[in-house]
Amino acid sequence: MAISRRAFLKTSAGIGTLAAFEVNLGANSALMNAKSIKFVPSVCEMCSTRCPIEVEVVDGKCKIIQGNPKFSSNKTSVCARGGAGVNQLYDPKRIVKPLIRVGKRGENKWREASWDEALSYCATKLNEIKEKYGPQSVVFTSKTGESHTQLMNFACSYGSPNIFSHWSCCPITYNIVLNQTYGGGLSRDFANAKYIVNFGHNLFEGIVISDTKKVAKFANREDTKLLVLDPRFSVIAAKADEWLPVRPGTDLAFVMALIHVWIRDGKYDKKFVEKYTVGIEEVIKAVKDTTPKWQEAITGIKAKDVERIADEIYAKAPEVIIDWGHKTTTTRAEYQRTRAIAIANALMGNFEKKGGIFFGKSAGTFNKLCAEELFPTLANPDAGFKVPKTPRIDGCGEEGSKHFFIPRKHGVLMDIAPAILSQKPYPIKGWVSTRFNHLINVASTDEVVKAIDKLDFVLSIDVYLNDFANLADVVLPEATYLERDESIQNKSGTAPGYYMRNKVVEPIAGTKSGYEIFRELARLMKIDEGYTWKDINEYRMQQAKGNDKLIADLIKNGYVNWKVPQVYYREPKFVAKFVEKYPNATKFVDENGEMSSQVKFKTPSGKIELFLENVEAKFPGEGCINPNHMDVFGGHEFCLMSGKTAIHTNGHTQNIPILNHLMDQSPVWINPKAAKQKGFKDGDTVILKNKFGSVKATLMLTEGIREDTLFVYHGFGHVTPDLSDTNGMGTNQSVILDPADGVVCGTMVTNVGVDIIKA
Amino acid sequence: MKKYVMVHDENLCIGCQGCSVACRNENNVPDGVYRLQVHMKMSGTFPRLKTDFIRQSCVMCEESPCVTVCPTGASFKTDNGITLVDERLCVSCKYCLLACPYDARFVDPITKAIGKCTFCFQNRLSAGKEPACVTVCPTDALVFGDVNDENSEVSKLIAKKNVEYPKAHLNTKPSLGFIKNTKGGRYE
Repeated sequence: MAISRRAFLKTSAGIGTLAAFEVNLGANSALMNAKSIKFVPSVCEMCSTRCPIEVEVVDGKCKIIQGNPKFSSNKTSVCARGGAGVNQLYDPKRIVKPLIRVGKRGENKWREASWDEALSYCATKLNEIKEKYGPQSVVFTSKTGESHTQLMNFACSYGSPNIFSHWSCCPITYNIVLNQTYGGGLSRDFANAKYIVNFGHNLFEGIVISDTKKVAKFANREDTKLLVLDPRFSVIAAKADEWLPVRPGTDLAFVMALIHVWIRDGKYDKKFVEKYTVGIEEVIKAVKDTTPKWQEAITGIKAKDVERIADEIYAKAPEVIIDWGHKTTTTRAEYQRTRAIAIANALMGNFEKKGGIFFGKSAGTFNKLCAEELFPTLANPDAGFKVPKTPRIDGCGEEGSKHFFIPRKHGVLMDIAPAILSQKPYPIKGWVSTRFNHLINVASTDEVVKAIDKLDFVLSIDVYLNDFANLADVVLPEATYLERDESIQNKSGTAPGYYMRNKVVEPIAGTKSGYEIFRELARLMKIDEGYTWKDINEYRMQQAKGNDKLIADLIKNGYVNWKVPQVYYREPKFVAKFVEKYPNATKFVDENGEMSSQVKFKTPSGKIELFLENVEAKFPGEGCINPNHMDVFGGHEFCLMSGKTAIHTNGHTQNIPILNHLMDQSPVWINPKAAKQKGFKDGDTVILKNKFGSVKATLMLTEGIREDTLFVYHGFGHVTPDLSDTNGMGTNQSVILDPADGVVCGTMVTNVGVDIIKA
Repeated sequence: MKKYVMVHDENLCIGCQGCSVACRNENNVPDGVYRLQVHMKMSGTFPRLKTDFIRQSCVMCEESPCVTVCPTGASFKTDNGITLVDERLCVSCKYCLLACPYDARFVDPITKAIGKCTFCFQNRLSAGKEPACVTVCPTDALVFGDVNDENSEVSKLIAKKNVEYPKAHLNTKPSLGFIKNTKGGRYE
């Protein structure tokens, strides 16, 4: 692009690439001569985990990021992406001024505009669409988090029900399954488990520091076992006590065989199942024929290994975790795979047990237990915003729709492009996206590009002129997380805790946060009657219900908690310690020393639902586990999988110089035997092809993958012209993904059958 | 007198490169050179595989060839065992680069002086902080401290685990040790 939006580097002394030249003086003399050094506690946003961090600011410039030592699960730890937050902040490729398109869509011709002009332009365009087609004809997409909340508030004010988060292309399945089966989200006590079964949940590349630290230490212990099933020798597979290179997409068969063995041999926690669950009869029926022998032909794992592993796990129960993972997008049977995992955990009786799984306990829960308001609870300033009840383009939450069970604030991303192109169920004319690169993250990239071209107005809010932003009419430069004050967030686990993102430096060249952008836009459009707050300070104060000490603590420390003894309701030792400190809780203790009255499941039956009557009623056959829809080859020779690298976050970080230098390519993994058979050499350029499309790839020969499987790190293959270091590097797998979603959860499937041909 | 030692546990290391990014930002390391790298090396034949995680940086030899060969005295050892370069005396003759058996030094592309890992001596140790790589490591694979203090974490680790030293046969007596990787895929 022609304009000099990078001029901010020249005017802000001592930042950005100039930093490299400071080395002339020596890092040390710079530090010794520094006028001011301060440490600002905040919250990371380089991935979706959001670890508490602390930033060292020297003379007004962010120098280094480390973990916030006050958060004991992480201490000072931070990953490569987290550490690179500084480099994103000062990346000369960042956009810092609002841009309005002047050429054809996607031509990368822009002019800079003032915030006033850009926001008025957006308001005019959005009002025009609303008048002509109704508010439902604008779709809103974002990644999950505070930006999603602010986008949602605005969409609700505008009147559109078509709100989407990134859920359907990543964590939707486990969120819905745990909710349906247990009535809420669950935590995993990785630190105290004795046995962990891991289905490719690669915590050593898709890093969540608190969990990664625990699992690394778990894997390093002599008295524990980490079993990893993954078609690829991932980093977590490399740390496993046993690695099973399972045939892609078939974990479900393995879990169903485990359940078969446990039931056949009576080796499951019968007392727990009787007291706390419903539907075991249906499970018994469902796994009657799913023997270890049956699964052998499907998974490639020997029957005798399944028998041995079933016994091993039961011997360690309840200190076992059968991990449901995070990116739950393996096959169209993903729902049943995750359901089988949820059921397997219940059979091991590990719920509310040390080393098992448990409900996170917030301040409210502890106040109830202690019968006293000991811990501050938060109010929700956004409670008034409701997703409009008008029909959505994907039918989420609507009677008679295949997406009935999907939350209306998360939606099914794959339905957006078809709705635009077909104008069904009604015309879509606008798209507002904040920090979500739909072209890289969602199936059918080519269709999405065609669809965007049909729109009257596209607004992208981003840090970069990324692939989606490049197709927009207006791009608003969002402040990076290091330049934003945000709200108080719940960080409770075994004990209540809160954390808060604090501005570390003033926004470069006046970029704005999601809170500011959407609030201002709503005010400008006079649709802000639902907003109870004017700015982030009011927002925080409302959340804290006027508790200024809580806010002051969070500004000073970034994270606050109260020394509360851990409690697992079904562990008498923990319960005893808890009531010793909080005697009011004694009334909840049973004769056997547990707090079983507190074990409550917010399900229709009030119990763990091994069989789901409500799902069965809407989707006959899906109420209990079934082994259908596991195939991910679709008649092709290979299955292409994708996954996370520790260096990048999805499609967002490829251009950040320090990370780009660590990893600027993403070749496709192939086993040397498979390559030899096809006549391919290391480094060959090939085409991956199926009925959904074709995409160029570079092959990397490695022993670390099955002969029938290919693997690529997700997030590469950008086409955005402005980011020259990333443009054309690596493969965007979304181009060839099957847009058909999984049952019940609408999950996008990231395993797909492909053939390889010479380029 | 303190003697600083660092231990890299290859079993805990996940090759995430958090240390590398922290090192670059803390020490303003220019593009194209590095004070610290972690190499991931997969070996074996499917499905009998292992991946090793190897730290590559200055090992702070007690008997430092780089110090011995330095003609100007720019390369020197501190009393607590850290090898440093005094940029004022360095003439960038590169003898130390050739002498170093650990390939741990580089010519700074901007200053042309010799660069290397310093255990963050001036910028962090002198302020009572650990080296940046140790501070940020997500899995606590790096342990750093005074080996002359028997209560230090690093002393306790050395007493408990078998700590090896790279290229021990060269008798340079490194102060950067490692705990060898024992993990690997064993499926038949």
